[in-house]
Amino acid sequence: MKFFLSLFGTLAFILLLDRSWTVGDTRIPPLGKFLDPLNGFWQNAEPRNHIGPEDLRVNGLKQRVIVQYDSLLIPHIFATDEEDLYMAQGFVTAQHRLWQMEFQTLAAAGRLSSILGPGPDNVFIEYDRRQRRLGVPFAAQNAAEMMVQDPVQKAMLERYTDGINRYISSLRYKDLPLEYKLMDYEPEPWTVLKCGLLLKSMAQTLNMGDKDIEMTNALKLYGKEMVDLLYPDPDCDIDPIVNNPGGWNFNPVNLAETVNSLPEGLVGTDPMPKSNPDLGSNNWAVSGSRTATGAPILCNDPHLDTSLPSIWFAVHLNGPDVNVMGASIPGSPGVIIGFNDSIAWGVTNAQRDLVDWYKITYQDARREHYLLDGEWKSTEKKVEEIVVRGGRTVYDTVIYTHWGPVPYDRNFRGDDDLTDYAFRWIAHDPSKEATTFYKLNRAKNFNDYMEALDHYASPAQNFAFASVSGDIAIRIQGKFPVRRKDEGKFVLDGSQTANGWNAFIPLEQNIMEKNPVRGFVSSANQYPVDSTYPYYITATNYEAYRNRRINNVLRRLNGITVTDMMRLQNDNYNLHAAEALPFLLGQLAVDTAALRDEGPEGIALINAYRKLAAWDYFNDKDAEGASYFQAWWSDFYLRLWDEMLDQPFPMALPTEFNTIKLLKENRIAAFYDIRSTETRESLRDLVHTSFATSVARIEKWKEDRGSDRVRWADYKDTYVRHLARIEPLGYHVQHGGHGNAVNASDRIHGPSWRMIVSLEKTGIKAYGVYPGGQSGNPGSFHYSDMLEAWSNGRYYRLAFPKRPEEMQPYLFYETDLNPREKEN
Amino acid sequence: MKKFVIQVVVIALLAYMLEMFLPWWSVAIAAALGGLFLRSDANFWAGFCGVGTLWFSAAVVIDITSAGDLADKVASIMHINESLLIIFTCLTGALVGGMASYTGSLVTRKKVAKSG
Repeated sequence: MKFFLSLFGTLAFILLLDRSWTVGDTRIPPLGKFLDPLNGFWQNAEPRNHIGPEDLRVNGLKQRVIVQYDSLLIPHIFATDEEDLYMAQGFVTAQHRLWQMEFQTLAAAGRLSSILGPGPDNVFIEYDRRQRRLGVPFAAQNAAEMMVQDPVQKAMLERYTDGINRYISSLRYKDLPLEYKLMDYEPEPWTVLKCGLLLKSMAQTLNMGDKDIEMTNALKLYGKEMVDLLYPDPDCDIDPIVNNPGGWNFNPVNLAETVNSLPEGLVGTDPMPKSNPDLGSNNWAVSGSRTATGAPILCNDPHLDTSLPSIWFAVHLNGPDVNVMGASIPGSPGVIIGFNDSIAWGVTNAQRDLVDWYKITYQDARREHYLLDGEWKSTEKKVEEIVVRGGRTVYDTVIYTHWGPVPYDRNFRGDDDLTDYAFRWIAHDPSKEATTFYKLNRAKNFNDYMEALDHYASPAQNFAFASVSGDIAIRIQGKFPVRRKDEGKFVLDGSQTANGWNAFIPLEQNIMEKNPVRGFVSSANQYPVDSTYPYYITATNYEAYRNRRINNVLRRLNGITVTDMMRLQNDNYNLHAAEALPFLLGQLAVDTAALRDEGPEGIALINAYRKLAAWDYFNDKDAEGASYFQAWWSDFYLRLWDEMLDQPFPMALPTEFNTIKLLKENRIAAFYDIRSTETRESLRDLVHTSFATSVARIEKWKEDRGSDRVRWADYKDTYVRHLARIEPLGYHVQHGGHGNAVNASDRIHGPSWRMIVSLEKTGIKAYGVYPGGQSGNPGSFHYSDMLEAWSNGRYYRLAFPKRPEEMQPYLFYETDLNPREKEN
Repeated sequence: MKKFVIQVVVIALLAYMLEMFLPWWSVAIAAALGGLFLRSDANFWAGFCGVGTLWFSAAVVIDITSAGDLADKVASIMHINESLLIIFTCLTGALVGGMASYTGSLVTRKKVAKSG
């Protein structure tokens, strides 16, 4: 009896410790399994110089593949067979980044609740529904089907997938990445579809910006004239990407004019979160005529979420007819931003409106038919099955139309039938971007670069280019609908196919420039082209500051060196502040004597005023003026446009650039009044109130931290957070910069990969750094080893040997991947 | 006492070996076998000390030799500190080991009683 009691107790205890438990919204990992130092999380803790195995057998390889790591843990993969090269890339990437790649695809596919459960207030279920209703998995499916039609792409994607799966099948619990152990689940097999999901997730991050609902409301509220004043098209076209007036000698595609048919009433739908307008990037290429060595230099820094494991995985791929290095996206074969022996390329996001909303007229409440060109067409109903861990499966019916899915309806974020808009998104269209990167990785010259880009559709990017042979170029590539004036700015009538994207800009008519006289090309998400380009262009927002700063510096510099380029990528000059602050200060009357009598609060105002007046507009780490300005401007901006924020329906605020322009031109006096007060405010009142409020806020900030200074790096508090928002796995970093500065580092996003390539005939010299590290394992030294260099503007010289023997000086360790020996 | 020490050492070694091939709960098999065949006066404490020592030393060695501060990070996730995490790790293994070796020792008694 005693024995059975004891046995039962022991077994029960073991079972208790072998499974995870949810307490509230927190999942507690299986404690026995997790804490076991010989198999659990402790096994993820690695010594400083942890090295991988010397030899591994990888079933499916044809030949031996040599993988050599340098001191940053960048793999240099040498293969003698092309298919082996991609298989090895998949295997090696999974070795370091498996959890991240899978988690990102689960998020993109709307399957987070299957591992995280419903979440607080069903937040994960809602997230998954949103992904499904936007048709992200639908887009990925379309892309995956298209990609495997091309034999070269098919082989590349399938071998890459095989490589990942070989790694997954070699794993025991002990070897699983930390996050699987923490959240208590296991990796599933990789598929080509997942490569498509990653691509579409990128498109969602970069090419889903839209404010059609907000603009429609503005049009109803203020009328066309005011809309044109507040939201002009273009908002800022100073220093476009390509300035070539009169140089567009082609016959543009013309579409018959259609009348904008706006729906009745204001649109109350609460729009879903969309692409972050602050995300952006810089790239430029300088011609040899402007550099010290006479060789072109190409620079690129894409601005994305600064997250861990890092968004990018640096890799060097060497195989038959290819020797390429740069940043790859874990889960996607090849190099996305990089260089080879002959060329270098880099990308920034091409801001372009690639999203439209079409009002659907249903025949009746059953929503089985909708009106299109005078006929009742059948809708297609797709039932989305959302598996919820520890809960009941959720089924969500999404209606698909000629235009695409209908995300908002009576079942999702809509309170009446006005919300039945169909969603047209460029990324829903089948495309084959993998071909572009396959070809860019092998490109030898300008013509190869152009041909590679011909295959590229979405997300639209500004591709900068430079070659050892001396060419520089930039091309804005994507699949762009031919738009009529104002088309795409507002929601559209979905009952006529004529309102749709009935033609696309021919490839050869896309904006591009080769070897311009000024000796450089550049882009920073600004308006793309001069006013003589014959197509109408619109977007949610265009950058107005970084582009001008970059071009001003590049125009001024001569005998450009790599060091100059490093300095420019890390430049903290805030042009927005330089244009806004003198104006604000000019509206401010500071009576020092009177303020001094007011005690500490008055003295704080005097102090703030002096720091602002003395500030040089550089958002450097120690700059206090930068903090005061940021606090003041944010408060002022929201106070000025309070009329819009107070509306019960969504509105978009005019851009910072246009706000300052209109203020200086004194054209928006109607907005100065604060609606919540009895009195009628003037601009001076606004400026004074926001100044006092922001200074009080900063005083409070200082008091909370027990600090007598408000350094910009502390106030901004750059945070490199973990992908699953696990707080202790992220880092707070001391870093300068600002979204409007070339060093576009905001709190949680910024330069996610800084690359500089000098294309010298004697051999490429490349430098890179990113906010994180090559390992995705929080228990590795290489999880965050580049963070310090990144935050201090330092770079690593990237080793780029042509043969394994040349790796010796940089070699950290080598892993040979061997084919399984044939059975005799 | 000598018997107890041998029992502890054997349980620790056996647990270590079994864990190379089997999941974490194999420490219970090691402890149960130790309780079954190497009976001492303190069978619970033998498993407790055997597995506890193994897990404690393994955790400490990993903590000292690793570079990524992982224990500190995991401790923060669990809202405790690093030392407590090591103690917690050690106790978890120790309790499983203790219960298993005690259970094992009971089997022996029953069989001894029957055959005698």
